[in-house]
Amino acid sequence: MKLKNILISTTAVFLAVNALDATAKEIKLLNVSYDPTRELYQDYNTAFAKYWKDKSGDTVKIEQSHGGSGKQARAVIDGLEADVVTLALAYDVDAIAEKARLLPADWQKRLPNNSSPYTSTIVFLVRKGNPKGIKDWDDLVKPGIGIIPANPKTSGAARWTYLAAWGNALKKNGGDQAKAREFVAKFYKNVPVFDTGARGATTTFVQRGIGDVLVGWENEAILSLAESGKGEFEIVWPAFSILAEPPVTVVDKNAKRHGTEAVAKAYLEYLYTPEGQEIAAKRHYRPRNAEVAKKYAAEFPKLELFTIDEVFGGWQKAQKTHFSDGGVYDQIQQANR
Amino acid sequence: MKNLLKMTVAVVIGAQLGLSGALAQNQELDVKALLKRIEELEQKVKVQDRKRELGDEAAAEKARTASTVSIGPGGLQVQSADSNFVMRVRGGLQADGRFFASDSVANDTFLMRRVRPILEGTVFGKFDYRLMADFASGVTQTTANNGSILDAYINARLLPGFQIQAGKFKEPVGLERLQSWRNLLFVERGFPTQLVPNRDTGVMLHGGFWNNALYYQAGVFNGTADGGSSDFDANDGDKDFAGRLFVQPFKQTGVEALRGLGFGVAGTIGDHAGTPRTYVSDGAQRFFTYLTGTGVQPNVVGNGNTWRVTPQGYYYWGPFGVSGEYVISSQELRQAGGGAGAGSRAKFENIAWQVAGSYFLTGENNSFEPVSPRKSFNLANGDWGAWEITGRVGALDVDNAAFPIFANPAQSATRASSWGVGVNWHLNRNVKLQFNYVNTDFEGGDANPAISQPEHLFLTRAQFAF
Repeated sequence: MKLKNILISTTAVFLAVNALDATAKEIKLLNVSYDPTRELYQDYNTAFAKYWKDKSGDTVKIEQSHGGSGKQARAVIDGLEADVVTLALAYDVDAIAEKARLLPADWQKRLPNNSSPYTSTIVFLVRKGNPKGIKDWDDLVKPGIGIIPANPKTSGAARWTYLAAWGNALKKNGGDQAKAREFVAKFYKNVPVFDTGARGATTTFVQRGIGDVLVGWENEAILSLAESGKGEFEIVWPAFSILAEPPVTVVDKNAKRHGTEAVAKAYLEYLYTPEGQEIAAKRHYRPRNAEVAKKYAAEFPKLELFTIDEVFGGWQKAQKTHFSDGGVYDQIQQANR
Repeated sequence: MKNLLKMTVAVVIGAQLGLSGALAQNQELDVKALLKRIEELEQKVKVQDRKRELGDEAAAEKARTASTVSIGPGGLQVQSADSNFVMRVRGGLQADGRFFASDSVANDTFLMRRVRPILEGTVFGKFDYRLMADFASGVTQTTANNGSILDAYINARLLPGFQIQAGKFKEPVGLERLQSWRNLLFVERGFPTQLVPNRDTGVMLHGGFWNNALYYQAGVFNGTADGGSSDFDANDGDKDFAGRLFVQPFKQTGVEALRGLGFGVAGTIGDHAGTPRTYVSDGAQRFFTYLTGTGVQPNVVGNGNTWRVTPQGYYYWGPFGVSGEYVISSQELRQAGGGAGAGSRAKFENIAWQVAGSYFLTGENNSFEPVSPRKSFNLANGDWGAWEITGRVGALDVDNAAFPIFANPAQSATRASSWGVGVNWHLNRNVKLQFNYVNTDFEGGDANPAISQPEHLFLTRAQFAF
């Protein structure tokens, strides 16, 4: 039997089987995200699945994976097949682009607002009646205050917290880096235990009753307040904090391999629609959309916020100076031991 | 005096009142300090507890995400935490003894029949691979086949019913050929295996339904002579198509007595050139050879269409098992050399069949797959492993039309028929001892001392496979 005839027959069978398979295929997306976005994306995924069904007729099933932002980025680099990542900070996405080359280096230009559809900031959650009288950053470094942040080596929220503390000290001390370092060293001296992620830190403070103040995501503080019952905790908004911009992007090579490029792109674009922004606001993230922001203005007090570019020259520089192995954070921790 | 007394009492009372006030104040301070101390200690305990909790979580996470290494009867295995990546190191050897009870030109000998290291596994959850080499006695290389490389393939498990396998592996034809070398009833496979392909290079679609109650295999291969292997098409550009359909109709039912029944049909079709294979006895004595030579001597080669068809089946129930297959191998040949019949072309149909059965005296459930002893051999505990008795009859019938132009009737037999009995002692899952007696009668080839009389053969095997 000639090979040509066999190949033609085999190809025909193969195509027929594939065609049958294609009609029965369900679209699956994996969203690899950071710690406190569980509730946000549970709501959002339901809304998007309905939107996509109405628009295309296809059923899309979105799986979620959550953990410390740095840890999640590492997992994607190591082979976790995320179609999209929605992480806590741009540096973690840069790491995926740089080390695994799964997306282009200029990924942040692909969506509005530096691919950050919602923002947040760093605030304080204290116990009922604010027994230690914590009102601003300076109160945190007083002797005997127990601060609960997460570990900046593994958590995005913790890195935002560190930079917020540093930026505040710089402002108070006229840009004196040495004094900022001294302040941050005192800050971490008051930390009794480190969790790997923001959700773990919340558990430590809220459920385990450890420490006097949880320093972390605003959205996580509001959620804790809502879930713990009235009066158990209070939020203290410092006068000055950092504008945290959690980014989102398609992981191009994974999405291409899975055949999910179009739906992954639409999934992230839908975050910018009024519907997506409303869901983010309901889950305590500051929306970008002016109309939605106005509607939820009461939940988000106006603060003086600085950006990482303004004070630290961007994530790459901040990461290298402060969080790389042997960087300032490691030096501070070494000295504090 | 009275006034002095009053004053004294007043001073004493006043002093006492002042003292008790100071005392109360001090006590209150002590309680506050104590409460503060308790609170601090409570925080310390909570912090220690949380640190322990985080340590446990980290350890659990590490265990969940860590690769595992295990070793057991199935070999050495390394597996990623999500099971998507697996690598197994396996292998085995068969140390045989071959002893002729009758006069024979062949020597009694010990030999290493198989020495096979195996590396196999899975990547990305659905892609299996297998590399198996053989360094045994008599493994030789030809222009078409690197004899040392037996299996070298990848298999993509796209769906349970739709898998693609590519590389070098067994063609899906002969029943006993498809049975693993570690699980053979007899030391040597029977006659039907000599008429079907061994390992060939190609690509195959295959898959099973209803827990493999229905299994299909269909592939395109280089094409190889009866019993031969190939990893390069040295003789022609034509390809063989091979297919097999096997059903176990009661596998998924509650009819216990019939669940081990399976039957099917397989075959190949294609055009072949090149030298046809010879046929041998269990004692490795050639009993049929097509004429081969150079120059003016006759030389037989393949000359076109070759097809094979083989109905096959087995039945296992409790300790009893029986299997059988029947093979017709048709091939067009040409006497391409000189001498008598030069240029003659003809089409021959050679036939082989066998029925083989076994019974586990120790009660194990018989199977086409490897059988594990109920109790591994342990002299101290009085455990003797599994004991299996075996029997087999079969024959290979060469088309009479092959004589005398294509084969020499004085040197080659037109038929070989044999019967054999044996005992298999499975000491454990890895170690098996086999003892066979096989009697083979030949028709024809009277001038060939190897087959001019029946072959009475004792075969022994010590097998270690993991």
